[in-house]
Amino acid sequence: MRPLQPPLTFTQNLESYRSLLVRCLKGSFSYKSTTINNLLTTLVAYAITIMIWHQVYQQNPNHVIPSTQMYVYLLLAGAVNYAMSLGMEFRIGQRIRTGLIATDLLKPIDFQMAQAIQSISDGLFNGALSFVVFSLGFFLFGTQMLPSSPSAFLLFLVSFVLGFTVIYGIGFVFVQGAFYTYSGYGIFAARNALQFTFSGFSAPLDYYPPLLRTITDYLPFRHTIYTPVAIYMGWVTGPAAYLLLLQQLGWTVGLFLVGKFLMGRALKQLEVQGG
Amino acid sequence: MENALHVENLAKSYKRSMRHPGLLGAFKGLFSSKTQEFQAVKGISFSINRGERVGLIGENGAGKSTTLKMLTGIIAPTSGKLEVLGLLPWKQRRELALNIGVVFGQRPQLLWDIPVRETFRLLKAMYRIPSDVYEVTYKEAVRRLDLEPLLGTPVRLLSLGQRMRCDLAASLLHAPAIAFLDEPTIGLDLTVKEQVREYIRDMQDKFGVTLLITTHDLKDITEVCDRLLLLDKGTLLFDGSLKAFEKKFANESRIVADLERPATASALRKLSAEMKKHGGIVTGGEGHKLIVSYRKEGSAPVLTQILLKRQKVADLTLEKTDIETIVTRIYRKKPGKN
Repeated sequence: MRPLQPPLTFTQNLESYRSLLVRCLKGSFSYKSTTINNLLTTLVAYAITIMIWHQVYQQNPNHVIPSTQMYVYLLLAGAVNYAMSLGMEFRIGQRIRTGLIATDLLKPIDFQMAQAIQSISDGLFNGALSFVVFSLGFFLFGTQMLPSSPSAFLLFLVSFVLGFTVIYGIGFVFVQGAFYTYSGYGIFAARNALQFTFSGFSAPLDYYPPLLRTITDYLPFRHTIYTPVAIYMGWVTGPAAYLLLLQQLGWTVGLFLVGKFLMGRALKQLEVQGG
Repeated sequence: MENALHVENLAKSYKRSMRHPGLLGAFKGLFSSKTQEFQAVKGISFSINRGERVGLIGENGAGKSTTLKMLTGIIAPTSGKLEVLGLLPWKQRRELALNIGVVFGQRPQLLWDIPVRETFRLLKAMYRIPSDVYEVTYKEAVRRLDLEPLLGTPVRLLSLGQRMRCDLAASLLHAPAIAFLDEPTIGLDLTVKEQVREYIRDMQDKFGVTLLITTHDLKDITEVCDRLLLLDKGTLLFDGSLKAFEKKFANESRIVADLERPATASALRKLSAEMKKHGGIVTGGEGHKLIVSYRKEGSAPVLTQILLKRQKVADLTLEKTDIETIVTRIYRKKPGKN
């Protein structure tokens, strides 16, 4: 008879998460045709967005942001958005609906952390693919796609990672709704609509009407796309950039705690469906 | 002996939303919803010692899976006491998870898109399985369950039976203190079922794994377990050894004779009368077949002698009521069933 195992130490947990990350990454390569299809349609969608803005600039060239900078912004926002496509709501929603969530809860690792690992894997995989979007921009606009300065690039990297933790935090908070609705799609649609509206994905925040801009300032979404891209382009520098990084960190911690609290409540009323 | 788990007045009720029938009903449901409370488990109590092999049976909806979900900590009980390996499953789920293995027959724990061996490697890291233990459990699983050809295949490409074998191996790789196996032989053919039972027995012998198995295949119980819990609509109808179960419910044995010539009506009457004096009842006598039932232990020799004296018998067998028949009878006797 094996003696009972004591709880895992921090280092042992790290080893579990490392091992999980490797497996998640391997899983990411399973659906090649879906990945290629997704990437191609995304590229077409971004190209259309740029064409629409091109038409806008043709009709009225006097804008706050010059046309080329706008195109570069849109492509960078697209690349960042692609890297941050996590699909957590679909994944968890489906597992709740089918009762497969039971097998996740029976693992000796923290569910929230396990989801973070899966999201990191998605981020790494999609992040690598987002270079295709970036390369397209480089092909079209040459050195204009490069960061405004080396320090801006370093700050961008930090902001990108923090933006990723913010989008993960938002997703995890939203996905708690699936424990009550048993559907991930509605949750995803709601989160995606807010993300699309308030992140600065479709246009820089300078183009937002005042009321929308004020609402945006109180929400975390802008820190997922606008903040890192604005830092990369040199629109925000020095102390203002550091302040944005601090805000991203604050949202990360806040969303993590809210997610943990909501998950505790959701699990108390969980019914694992079916026998 | 040390307790593996202890359950006292454990109950679980759910709120179920009731749907209106038809398309119009579905539309109505958008604006109004009725809920009904459903009690899946109604205050059951039992204990299981370390190393015991226990079968949990019951009809569909009897509360087996709900009980298992509470024991493993994935759902919280509505009321009652519950302790597994000295832990409160619902509150100490992760700590408990390290020491238990679970198979939910219809919910694979294997990672869907990658080869089986990758899940095994992940579990080795996740459960901190010492190399010497892993060496034994991994090799044993691969050999006993014929997993070698499946190890490199992504899980989604496996058949139900293949996946079940891999899932069972995954749940026992860390030689857990308790294994909760919910329908571990579902979807398997007869040969593989036998393989699986042997493997479970072996793991129990080697590592003293406490087993709690729920199943609809009673052979899983008779070939692996020593003790039986019978659940019926959320209540515990029986808790005891297989022998005690047979003694309590299988109170009838039969002598089945194959006659050389069919018995005449008058011969049957005389035979019945004499059998009755010694506790035997002729329950069937059509054509060449004759059946004598009796309840009193030790009646078989006398009844057989009477039969051989009165009829020319070509062949004769003694039948004890098997567990499957008993359980079927118990299910059928319930109110609302014939």
